[in-house]
Amino acid sequence: MITDAPGDMTSDVSSDMTAGMTGDMTTGAIPAAAISAIGAGAVAVLGLWWANTPAVVGLDGWLTGAGRITGLLAGYAITVLLALMARIPVLEHGVGSDRLARWHSMGGRYVVCLAVSHTLLIIWGYAVTDGTGVVSETVTLNLTYPDVLKATVAVLLLVGVGIVSARAIRPRLRYETWFHLHFYTYLAAWLAFGHVLADGNEFIGNRPAQLAWYALYIGVALVLVWYRFLTPIRQALLHRFTVTRVIEEAPGVISIHIAGRRLDKLKIEPGQFFRWRFLTRGLWWSANPYSLSAAPRRSELRITVKDLGDHSRGLARIRPGTRVLAEGPYGSFTARRRTRRKVLLIAGGVGITPLRALFESIPAAPGDLTLLYRARTSEDLVFRTELEQISARRGTGLLYCVGPRSVVGDPFTPHSLTALVPHLPDHDVYVCGPTGMTGRVIPALRAAGVPRRRIHHESFEF
Amino acid sequence: MRRAIFAVIVTATGLVLLLSFKPHNVTAAAERPGVVSDPPAGDANGQAEAPATSGKKGTGTGKGTASGTDKGKGTASGAGKAAPKVTASPGSWSGDGASLGETAGEKVVGGAVADTRFGPVQVQLVLSDAKITGVQVLQAPQESRRDFSINSEALPILDQEALAAQSAQIDTVSGATYTSDGYVQSLQSALDRAGL
Repeated sequence: MITDAPGDMTSDVSSDMTAGMTGDMTTGAIPAAAISAIGAGAVAVLGLWWANTPAVVGLDGWLTGAGRITGLLAGYAITVLLALMARIPVLEHGVGSDRLARWHSMGGRYVVCLAVSHTLLIIWGYAVTDGTGVVSETVTLNLTYPDVLKATVAVLLLVGVGIVSARAIRPRLRYETWFHLHFYTYLAAWLAFGHVLADGNEFIGNRPAQLAWYALYIGVALVLVWYRFLTPIRQALLHRFTVTRVIEEAPGVISIHIAGRRLDKLKIEPGQFFRWRFLTRGLWWSANPYSLSAAPRRSELRITVKDLGDHSRGLARIRPGTRVLAEGPYGSFTARRRTRRKVLLIAGGVGITPLRALFESIPAAPGDLTLLYRARTSEDLVFRTELEQISARRGTGLLYCVGPRSVVGDPFTPHSLTALVPHLPDHDVYVCGPTGMTGRVIPALRAAGVPRRRIHHESFEF
Repeated sequence: MRRAIFAVIVTATGLVLLLSFKPHNVTAAAERPGVVSDPPAGDANGQAEAPATSGKKGTGTGKGTASGTDKGKGTASGAGKAAPKVTASPGSWSGDGASLGETAGEKVVGGAVADTRFGPVQVQLVLSDAKITGVQVLQAPQESRRDFSINSEALPILDQEALAAQSAQIDTVSGATYTSDGYVQSLQSALDRAGL
């Protein structure tokens, strides 16, 4: 039903990225509301089990009961996972895309565990009841219970996707392969749907429960189709994005200028990103998140991309005139998060892109804004000329740190940060860079006295 | 990693707690001997619980034997479990108005046996002046606990549908597709035999 929905399943891959931050005060209510809604659904599902279970008797009663609960939760949670990735605007803005992706990836592992537990517990429980072995019970279940064979395929698909998403294997896969494998989760959800209604103790003869289950799945399917399929098409028709220029900024780093109509309607804030789908052979099938690397102009946007994988490498060959579908703007890594007069931006590598847009546009008096820019070599410093012009015009601080760590040492220690930036604890700090870097910077900032709620970070991973 | 372990522990604890809050015996007094070995006690368990089970499912005049197969299997082990299974064939399924069959002016017409994937289904009708006043299920799959629990939900629904429709044009009960199909076939054949 929704296997053809375009778009990527997660956004924590490819080059620069998204927003979302722990302890952000302005958006704290929406994540809490989202968590509460998810929890309420889980309680409702457990209530369904509770209402339909008169007693738990004997070992098989315990096993089957546990199997039913895990099964119900898995069936419910897979819709939550799909909904988290459905690009629902209130979640994208309020929770932040990178946090959604984290929830999705944690929840994904959890759902795979639930589905596997459900399968094993039910087989075991039924085997104990029938006094047969688990192998023969497995055969019986698959061959005689309606739709169970399909559900077995579904659980194997989920386990397969879980394995390739695991930390150990994932880096060895091309992003594209991994991305395509994720579509099988739609197939798994669809395959598993039948056996819930056909065999689920809670659903047989329980019309309201059946209708609620249908409503849940159909609702999520509609949301997916609407936000991931129809909305990008509508935006494309309205804004007609087209590539106008492709410029090499540094070795392996390119900027793409994209023209569009009625950009003011998008209400873009510097620091945000779009999911871009370039309509050329080899690129059209995936929408990748790239931040705007300049404050939006009236009819032109700019993104800057580092060569980090097949997709970003393919972008270097894009010709002006290429049509683009864009979803967005997304992300809350913007000036709205700021609570103090003084602002420090810390960029690592190509993580400069959203910070470049903020450096240009975030309101600040001369002396109140500082950019710390870490790069491996001086050739890797993209936007150097632009940054220096902005710095001169706005009277802001601009500090580079260039060179391998073995030579220059760790630039992100509490001591060095305090020495570089006077009154550091009074700043809002925006951090964007590779995970390894943000993992060192954030503890150093905390140690230097910056409260957690004033550290805003955006991570991008390969 | 810590979060993963936390999630596993919370889920497992939650599961055990949820399950432990449910009653674990059907009639508390007789539970222990029944479960361990004593066949008569096991049977008593099954019997004792029969009205409760059938009452919940709304089938009305549930016969103890059939219900015993359902839950009795959970409690009574060994010999106590086999017995009801064997005896529970005709008449073990209750039917709406089935008890009216004996009164004067009523006619009982049996339907053909319809074979389904899970076993045969057969119904008989109680007719009064060419009107269906009762449906009795003579046989339906009940070999496994699942069959029994599915059919004990579905058959009363089908009975009511048949009484309401006064024909075999009735809706399939979802979750019990095969039984529904067999039921409709047998019902249609009974109606054909009755010349309706």
